Amino acid sequence: MNDVFVAIRRAPYQSFATFFTLFLTLFLSLAVFFILTFLYGMLSYVESRPQVTVYFQTQTSESDILKIKEQLISSDKVQSVKYVSKNDAYALYKKLNQDNPLLLEMVTPDILPASLEIFAKKPTYLPEIAGFLQTMTGIDEVNFQKNIIDRLLSLTSVVRKTSILFFGYFIITTIIILISITHFKIALKKDEIELLQLIGASKFYIKKPFIKEAWFFGFISSSAVFIIFTGLFFLSQPFLQSYLSGIVNLSIDFGFYNLIIWPISLEFGALAFFITSFFGISISIVSTLLATQKYIK
Amino acid sequence: MILFENVYKKFPLGNFALQDISCEIQSNEFVFLVGSSGAGKTSILKLILREMMPTSGTLVVDEFDLSTTKFKNIAQLRRNIGFVFQDFKILPEKNIFENISLGLHILGMNSKDIVKNVKDVLKLVGLEDKENVFPVQLSAGELQRVAIARAVCGNRKIILADEPTGNLDPKTTWDIIKIFKKLEGKKTIIIATHNTDIVNSLKKRVLILKDGRLIKDIRKGGYEL
Repeated sequence: MNDVFVAIRRAPYQSFATFFTLFLTLFLSLAVFFILTFLYGMLSYVESRPQVTVYFQTQTSESDILKIKEQLISSDKVQSVKYVSKNDAYALYKKLNQDNPLLLEMVTPDILPASLEIFAKKPTYLPEIAGFLQTMTGIDEVNFQKNIIDRLLSLTSVVRKTSILFFGYFIITTIIILISITHFKIALKKDEIELLQLIGASKFYIKKPFIKEAWFFGFISSSAVFIIFTGLFFLSQPFLQSYLSGIVNLSIDFGFYNLIIWPISLEFGALAFFITSFFGISISIVSTLLATQKYIK
Repeated sequence: MILFENVYKKFPLGNFALQDISCEIQSNEFVFLVGSSGAGKTSILKLILREMMPTSGTLVVDEFDLSTTKFKNIAQLRRNIGFVFQDFKILPEKNIFENISLGLHILGMNSKDIVKNVKDVLKLVGLEDKENVFPVQLSAGELQRVAIARAVCGNRKIILADEPTGNLDPKTTWDIIKIFKKLEGKKTIIIATHNTDIVNSLKKRVLILKDGRLIKDIRKGGYEL
């Protein structure tokens, strides 16, 4: 490590330029990572709510409703269907209006509609399911969260596409800047490199100090970004808590693992740190390898 | 062993640096390369160090055949060769210990062996008390000794010196030659020089070059041109 500090002392401006370039890129990347994960978390949350609710006319028989339920389950577009009978609806109504005896007196199970709460396998199946239900007899009303899901889907898609463009632009810019800085450092050490080559140093031996420095800057800048970002995140926590009030937790399901992202979990923090460090160290080392490959002959 | 067989070196503009050079230098031999400026002395040293490639002919240095363009083991070859440059090539931002130990780090030696090796070579060149000094604090003669120390350390088998006394006064020149004399019989030493006095008084093998050709190979010779 000592040789890294000596190199920083000998070329302080280049070292600061490397650090701040990486810092800016990583900070913005981490911000986009948080936005994307929260959007995906929100999408998962909305998807976990009943997505289509169909209310039946009061005269529709339970057997007809259960027949429709069977038809829905047998299609490959539906994840699950929950039947809410008139009595279930009445129990729910009573629970919701327990403080208002007048409203309770006015309602009996007979006037409440039975319903089906349907969860689709994919949000894109929702209009099709709703369309199918509207063709059935005995239906009073079909509600589905098309607008919310559509908006979230389009927002996530826009953010994802923008992020790809953003990442592409920043990665290329950062790599070009880091290559230029490394080129300058190589030029400063021209005599030493020439001498090392003449006395038998291998290419890797000559490149090694630059790679060590790249690793160091990648790690230090990503750690600094993570610490500052964590601080800012905790400062904005009251705002987030009020914004996300009513949502117990947000999570992303990876199939083999369900990652809780809100409230912030240790696993999510560790993943964010790992991704930032990996990204920071990778672009720093890749830039250095490209520069040393080009300029150390 | 170093073997030149009909070696030619032609520069891109068409002029020859070396023409039809054939000679064999045995291990631990002490050889002077003499000739006027442009005769090809430095070119021979650069060929041995693989700083440049022969245009044609055979050049073998120990187990390495340097005639082929496919030769890629340059670093390994150079680890056996110590080079003393006329302009010293001492790094100003490193102290004497660090300058000398550069080659030892390349060989992958551990810190303890590096310290011992550097102390030994500093003693050999008479700079025992200068290991923590920076180059700017040394005279030209002392800097050349440091360059020799760096070339010698790490058990390098071949020492090439390109005008090692070119910038030095007569007394310092002899001090430097005495260091090379101490190494005689232990390493192959090839010194390119103009210095008539040194060549004449040491009576070692002399290879005389003129216009890129080897015109004489004298076993115990002097400076003849």
